[in-house]
Amino acid sequence: MLKRLYRWLDLRIGVGEIVEKELTGYLLPRNINEWYSLGSVLLVIFALQVVTGMLLMIYYVPDADKAFKSVTFIMNEVPFGWLIRLCHAVGSNMMVAVLILHMLSTLLMGSYKAPRELNWVTGFTLLALVQGISLTGYLAPWSQLSFWATTVATNSASAVPVLGPYLVEFLRGGKLVGPPTLGRFFALHAAVLPVVIAALIGAHLFLLKRTGISAPPFGREGTANPFEAQQYHYQGHPGGIPFFPNYVLQDLTSISVYFAIFLAVVFFWPGMPFTPDAFVPADPFKTPAHIKPEWYFLANYQTLKIFPSELLGLSVQAAAMTFLALLPFIDRSPERHPLKRPIFLTLVIAGILLWIALSVWGHLS
Amino acid sequence: MENEGRRRFLGVCVAGATAAAAVAAGYPVFRYLAPRSGQGGGAKLVIPAGELKEGDAKFFEFAGSSAVLIKTKSGELVALSAVCTHLGCIVQWVKEKQQFLCPCHGGQFSTDGTVLGGPPPRPLAKIPLTVTEGNITIG
Repeated sequence: MLKRLYRWLDLRIGVGEIVEKELTGYLLPRNINEWYSLGSVLLVIFALQVVTGMLLMIYYVPDADKAFKSVTFIMNEVPFGWLIRLCHAVGSNMMVAVLILHMLSTLLMGSYKAPRELNWVTGFTLLALVQGISLTGYLAPWSQLSFWATTVATNSASAVPVLGPYLVEFLRGGKLVGPPTLGRFFALHAAVLPVVIAALIGAHLFLLKRTGISAPPFGREGTANPFEAQQYHYQGHPGGIPFFPNYVLQDLTSISVYFAIFLAVVFFWPGMPFTPDAFVPADPFKTPAHIKPEWYFLANYQTLKIFPSELLGLSVQAAAMTFLALLPFIDRSPERHPLKRPIFLTLVIAGILLWIALSVWGHLS
Repeated sequence: MENEGRRRFLGVCVAGATAAAAVAAGYPVFRYLAPRSGQGGGAKLVIPAGELKEGDAKFFEFAGSSAVLIKTKSGELVALSAVCTHLGCIVQWVKEKQQFLCPCHGGQFSTDGTVLGGPPPRPLAKIPLTVTEGNITIG
């Protein structure tokens, strides 16, 4: 039956040719490793966020008077509402975590180097957008946690010289966080950012297909990048392993491992995305003590606190982000093996340790 | 041959596991989307008899749907579903003619729900009521 359907489609639209070109004939380097499957895991996470988000929209009301009640209704009254909401909340944390791992593997294997500079830049932009979609979604439940975390986050824009105060007001839709903030954050969260992210994922995959997948710098004699900017050249891997079925199996394995971890958090650590303030409706006249941002913003939060002036703190972060975003244009040596790049490796490890230390400090302070 | 059997066995296992996963994921989504059972159903509604004058009609929500209570000119009380049996629009009470008119396609019903004209295929459903101590209990 399936074979007949396949033949029916093949006769009409040439499915066989696509399968040959994109799946069985799409060859990957023989020494490819599991880290390359994180992109597929991220695609699955994004799809799951979209689906659970759509489901939540059925009962969620983006109105300051009703938002908290509607979320409580989803959690306590709607059958399996708790599951859908937890999948969405835990999924958003997981998406940031896996995205960071994906970028770290790219960083350590030197895959961001020429000719893949644009893959890195689109990936980095995606990280920023995913943080943006997480931040805007954070306000949706209209709890004390959402309200005050958004107040603190939007307030950091006030450090921008001259335009600062106007920028904060523009972000909030008023002088303080209030019903207009919920309206614009919800529109960004549920309509604007998902479309922009999906488009950028498309661009990211398009670039991947045009440049060809990079070979890991391990287990081979030559680890330097053979790219020479003379003319366009697709980097194929003759004699490599086919994407289907070989690497699809690796993708499915990684996705299964991801689901095991994800569902373990959903079922055994459902409090992970929440603090007690998440269960109290927003009160604009009562600031709770110790409002902290999400774990992935803790380092930024602590950096802002360390520097005596907010502008300096913000500038340091902006400089660090710009440096990372433009890394492929700064680090132009062709060598990709991490152990053959000791200064780079030291800097990466120091950077990770600094980020962890700042996050822990931010959490404890 | 042995290899073939192994392959088939693994195929069946994978298909079974995929089907189980699909059911495990699909069931919560179905329950999440399904209308909540028992919403407003089975409940009784009490309306004070004094609220309704002779020849008047009172529309209200009953068992998750729309219903109407009328007191005919002869003083008889009738409770009916207000949902037109043609395409589900809500009928309107025409006091002057003492009958119901569905504004969607012109269906007409008498005070006891019988079809007087237009496309409705069935009479309006009757809802039982009891009158005790000046109160009308619907349902």
